[in-house]
Amino acid sequence: MFPLRINNVSKIFKNSKGQEFKAVDGISLNIEPGKIYGLLGPNGAGKSTLINMISGLLLPNQGGIELFGLDVVKDSNKTKQLIGVVPQEIVVEMAFTVEEVLYYFSGMYGVPRHERKARIKAVLEDLDLADKMHERARNLSGGMKRRLMVAKAILHRPKLLILDEPTAGVDVSLRQRIWALIRRLNAEGTTILFTTHYLEEAEQLCEYIALVDHGHLIKSGKLKDIQQEFSKNSIHFELFDRTAAPLTGVSEVGVEYEYPITSDLATDMAKLTSHYNHNLKSIRSEAASLEHIFLKLTNSGLSS
Amino acid sequence: MYSNMWALYAREVKRFQKIWIDTVFNPIVTVGLYLGVFGVVTSGQQIGDLPYLTFVYTGLLAMLIINNSFSNPSFALVIAKNLGNIVDLQLAPIAPWRIGVAYAMAAFTRGVITLCIALLATVWFIPGLGLPEHPLYFIFALFLTGIEFGMLGVAFGFWAKNFEALTFMSTFVMQPMIFLAGVFYPVANLPSPWSTISLFNPVHHNINFFRYAFTGYSDISPIISLLVILGFSFVFFVAMQILTKKNIVLK
Repeated sequence: MFPLRINNVSKIFKNSKGQEFKAVDGISLNIEPGKIYGLLGPNGAGKSTLINMISGLLLPNQGGIELFGLDVVKDSNKTKQLIGVVPQEIVVEMAFTVEEVLYYFSGMYGVPRHERKARIKAVLEDLDLADKMHERARNLSGGMKRRLMVAKAILHRPKLLILDEPTAGVDVSLRQRIWALIRRLNAEGTTILFTTHYLEEAEQLCEYIALVDHGHLIKSGKLKDIQQEFSKNSIHFELFDRTAAPLTGVSEVGVEYEYPITSDLATDMAKLTSHYNHNLKSIRSEAASLEHIFLKLTNSGLSS
Repeated sequence: MYSNMWALYAREVKRFQKIWIDTVFNPIVTVGLYLGVFGVVTSGQQIGDLPYLTFVYTGLLAMLIINNSFSNPSFALVIAKNLGNIVDLQLAPIAPWRIGVAYAMAAFTRGVITLCIALLATVWFIPGLGLPEHPLYFIFALFLTGIEFGMLGVAFGFWAKNFEALTFMSTFVMQPMIFLAGVFYPVANLPSPWSTISLFNPVHHNINFFRYAFTGYSDISPIISLLVILGFSFVFFVAMQILTKKNIVLK
């Protein structure tokens, strides 16, 4: 059984003038159990709208979403119980301590009273927040609040953990700590779905990715397969002097340039090195970076 | 099965306990001040067989429950909307109707706690006032008034988009309804048509029924007041359910 099945889902919003805007347009996606999925896309691509529909916060206008075989609209209370969600925006209870926030929130997920304190202690230790247990949540730093949001989402031990930009605005060491936690939860059997702007993060963590732009799903599958698909017929290189006269057939992709392999790899590499000579900063034909794939798909693939 | 709802209820009770000076003692000071003023100004006056001070006192107690039950959920929800942590309610696996009930029950709890503390603190200043005349009605009056205005508070809290909207409703709808409901005078003493209009004010019936339960004095039949309270409770329950659902599952 798929932890998540999205079947031809669309979401339409109306602006103040009554004009309709399709934030998500006919997306279908299945997520396999025990995997880490990255949902990637530029700002306004529709990622958060999709996450909100999966979480039961928004109703789709078309299509259906199933979590572990249950419909998120018809069985919303059951599906909400199976997932943990870390929303993008940091929000904390003003009046409560860290422990109180977690105590009542886990209670709202049905965690028995006698288990709550032990679970809170364990999760806070995991997230290096144990010494803040009795502090008011509003007095925590931004990074600590972000960790508190993660703690809220995992206390009831969800089968699917959804994180909307979990590392936005956090420092490098905290990001590493959150990655480690995600990996550990995944190793324990939790399926993970997260959105991120940091492509390096997706490359580090994800086995599978789904790329979304303008409300459409433009690519999904195993990260390695997608990288291979985008690498097999081209050479990627960087130049010191970007004003140099380009070789015919070369196209610009972000900071890189791409040259399609027309005869064989060695001949085309030789052609490029002889044309650009000392101006070549780097040259490679290995798997395309996610940034390269992302730019290619969002700049040309979809826009065209 | 209901543990999720009770956890939410416990959270909302904890919330007003955390700021008890503002939520519990502030209204009690207000009642004390009213009593001080009316005790001096109306000393020795009667309404029927009832001393005027007792009349006002029981009205003020009913007003205390109404105000506390209404403001507990309405302010908590508007704050949650403004800070963004309304998302906790939207994400949690609790049916919208249970969310409404949990908030209304917490509101009722605050109303009753405040009333009990106010009674203990001030009943000594009201000569001749003893235990409620009709204890069963008194329990009904407490429960129904607390729940009724708790539900109205939930509905207002979900309806109001910001503090301005809530303050507007509190100042221009709730306060006039409370002050024109016979807290300080019998509505029958009002000139026509105001005495008739007051009969359509739901708050009047809560105050009348509460006063009857406590002292045996009533402006109109307590049974009529009880039926009106039940009717408005149903209306507020429906309004609460509609507005809660609308705000928990967004279209």
